[in-house]
Amino acid sequence: VARKRSPARLVIALSVAAVLCIFLLYTSIAGGGTPSLQPGQLKGRTGQVTLGGVVASEKGDARSAAGMRFVLRDRKGTTTIPVVYRGSVPDMFRVDREVAVQGALRNGVFVAKRDTLVTKCPSKYVDKKS
Amino acid sequence: MAGLGRAALALSLALVLYAALAGGYAAWRRRRRLALSAQNALLAAFGTTLLAAGLLAAALLRHDFAFTYVADHTARALPTVYTLSAFWGGQEGSLLLWLLILTGFSAAAVWLNRKSATDLVAWTVPVLGGVAAFFAFMLVAVASPFATQVAPADGAGLNPSLQNPYMVAHPPMLYLGYVGLTVPFAFAMGALLSGRTDERWIVATRRWTLAAWTFLGVGQLLGAHWAYVEVGWGGYYAWDPVENAALMPWLAATAFLHSVMIQEKRGMLKVWNMLLVILAFCLSIFGTFLTRSGVVSSIHSFTQSSIGPWFAGFICVVTIGSVALVFRRLPLLRAKTRLESLLSREATFLYNNLLLVALCLTILWGVVWPLITEALRGEPTTVAKPYYDFFLRVFGLPLLLLMGLGPLIAWRRASWRAVSQTFLVPAGIALAAGVALLVAGAGSSIPGLVAYTFSAFVLASIGYEFVRGTRARRALSGGSWPGAFAALVGRNRRRYGGYVVHAAIVLLAIGIAGSSAYQTVREQRLAVGQSMEVGAYTLVYRGSESRATPQGSEIRANVDVYRDGALVQRMRPGKNRYTREQQDSTEMAIRSDKLTGEDLDLVPDYDQRGNFYLKAFVKPLVNLIWLAGIVFLAGSLIALWPDAREQRRLVERYATRRGLVEA
Repeated sequence: VARKRSPARLVIALSVAAVLCIFLLYTSIAGGGTPSLQPGQLKGRTGQVTLGGVVASEKGDARSAAGMRFVLRDRKGTTTIPVVYRGSVPDMFRVDREVAVQGALRNGVFVAKRDTLVTKCPSKYVDKKS
Repeated sequence: MAGLGRAALALSLALVLYAALAGGYAAWRRRRRLALSAQNALLAAFGTTLLAAGLLAAALLRHDFAFTYVADHTARALPTVYTLSAFWGGQEGSLLLWLLILTGFSAAAVWLNRKSATDLVAWTVPVLGGVAAFFAFMLVAVASPFATQVAPADGAGLNPSLQNPYMVAHPPMLYLGYVGLTVPFAFAMGALLSGRTDERWIVATRRWTLAAWTFLGVGQLLGAHWAYVEVGWGGYYAWDPVENAALMPWLAATAFLHSVMIQEKRGMLKVWNMLLVILAFCLSIFGTFLTRSGVVSSIHSFTQSSIGPWFAGFICVVTIGSVALVFRRLPLLRAKTRLESLLSREATFLYNNLLLVALCLTILWGVVWPLITEALRGEPTTVAKPYYDFFLRVFGLPLLLLMGLGPLIAWRRASWRAVSQTFLVPAGIALAAGVALLVAGAGSSIPGLVAYTFSAFVLASIGYEFVRGTRARRALSGGSWPGAFAALVGRNRRRYGGYVVHAAIVLLAIGIAGSSAYQTVREQRLAVGQSMEVGAYTLVYRGSESRATPQGSEIRANVDVYRDGALVQRMRPGKNRYTREQQDSTEMAIRSDKLTGEDLDLVPDYDQRGNFYLKAFVKPLVNLIWLAGIVFLAGSLIALWPDAREQRRLVERYATRRGLVEA
């Protein structure tokens, strides 16, 4: 008896094709995400990136027109970059904490987008020694 | 004491290794007595692990800072409940809790199935033993919770933002979920190894899967609620890798829970189910790997440590081994029946599975994208909220629609005529709801409008199912409407519990769409007496006051909230300063409207000159998300509740089938 092939295969094949189409569509629109870099990798780049690192020093008021200025250092390195930031500052922001901020490099200063500063939040019990 | 703990863990390792090796040999050579001893070793491993866990808990409660673990994660001043919850606060304790739950679940699952599925259990014991051996090895050799040191005067203590009841319950809930997925995985592997690839492994583990899935779901909602009330950013889910780590196995398990029904009813999708249970289990291990290894940068900073490579290796072994086993057994996994029509209950389950797996894999793709781009281009690229939101809409909205369609379509083959008749009422209600929403102004967000129309459709079709079922039952056996309703649900708990869970997902969708698509956010600097408008509210700043507290100081802003010209509440957002921790903590204020589920969230900020800034969120319907959690739990409990009638039916079914095989 000649049985018809299961339409399940057709459905699976079609949906795989559909998913691939959506993927192509999406990556062509959004460009596949923003690079996340550390200060040492920033040299000469002017596009939008997420900059991550450790806060080396900070001064100024993020609520003022001039903004807050802080220096970000590589997690395991010495390269630093000055950052200017305006907007809300998370509670956990402090020197020696790890943070990430979005923005772009302009004339040697990383100009951050408003309200994009995030600190790594302690999801677990924090060991003070570290 | 620490020595005793180490000895107990070493004994656990020996016992589970014995269960794995001797159990495997016994099952292979069909040595009944040896298999029984392997089974008993697994049961005994629970006892020794329980002893180790008890010793660690006692050390925590006694503030025995000679235990490095106790000193690192607690302090004398810490309240008892948080001292105890430090058990799962660090890595070593988490692993111990994992092993404790795993051996406990293994012992229970093996014990409950020892008579009804002897040949299956013989092969399941070594698989469970193997998984447990990995964790026991980690505890003995790599990350021991019983490391000792010279006792310091006081411990390091616990971050203030984690001293919250939600944070006490959230991690163990997730562990119960992660570990629970081991049971269906082990029985699936047992079925493949023993060659008994009928539906028995599914029947034996149905409740385990459901329970694990419930724990995962509730655990995630608890975490989301904590983030919402404590972190103070007006959100509850950030698509962070660590959050996704819990979502992915939940999605895979959701797909699995649905597709096993097709295998039970129609004997199809056997390979698919095997692959899904492998996926769910591997993702649950991957989640732990992700959070502990630090390979992907996350806003959650867990203790990063040397256990990453071990987990990576374990995932590789499990994936390759289990997939190879599926391929080896392919001839046994042939379907007995075929999909007869693309318009049938089975087909809608298939679509649902494809969508869930697609969503799960796109999230996985987003999570590992930084690793891929780093390997290919030398620098990591991260995808963020827009990527995930896009795919949540692309796959989530059709899933929502399917929840309304599936239950109304007949098994095997449905006719278009019958389907269109059944759908007349729900579709009409959905259409009317859509138009009403459009008139009410919901058209400001197209995805939101679509989500709401689909939600109305699903709710209508679920309601319709309940009405239809109750009416049929009443016609059959008479009685009152409530009596017929109770009998309906009681006699088919799985189905109607499932519908209740569907209703919870609809509430969740309404809550998510409402709080994201229709939220209003304003931020403004306010002088005393100044006001700002947000949504239907007028907020007037009446100045701030500060006072000293035992831990430091606190400042509270007095904000009068007016609605329609009338004062409805004075809200007091502010900041706490913890002197010892040198830490400020923003204390947002939330006003929930019980009737509409709308929240007004106030997040305060002060600049260095003392100026006050207020960020206000109006989040319509956000409370439905938390309500969804309660409904979800209720639905799961209905589906989980033991059912003697069903049990008898299953026993008969497999008894006759075995008879046929032997004849």
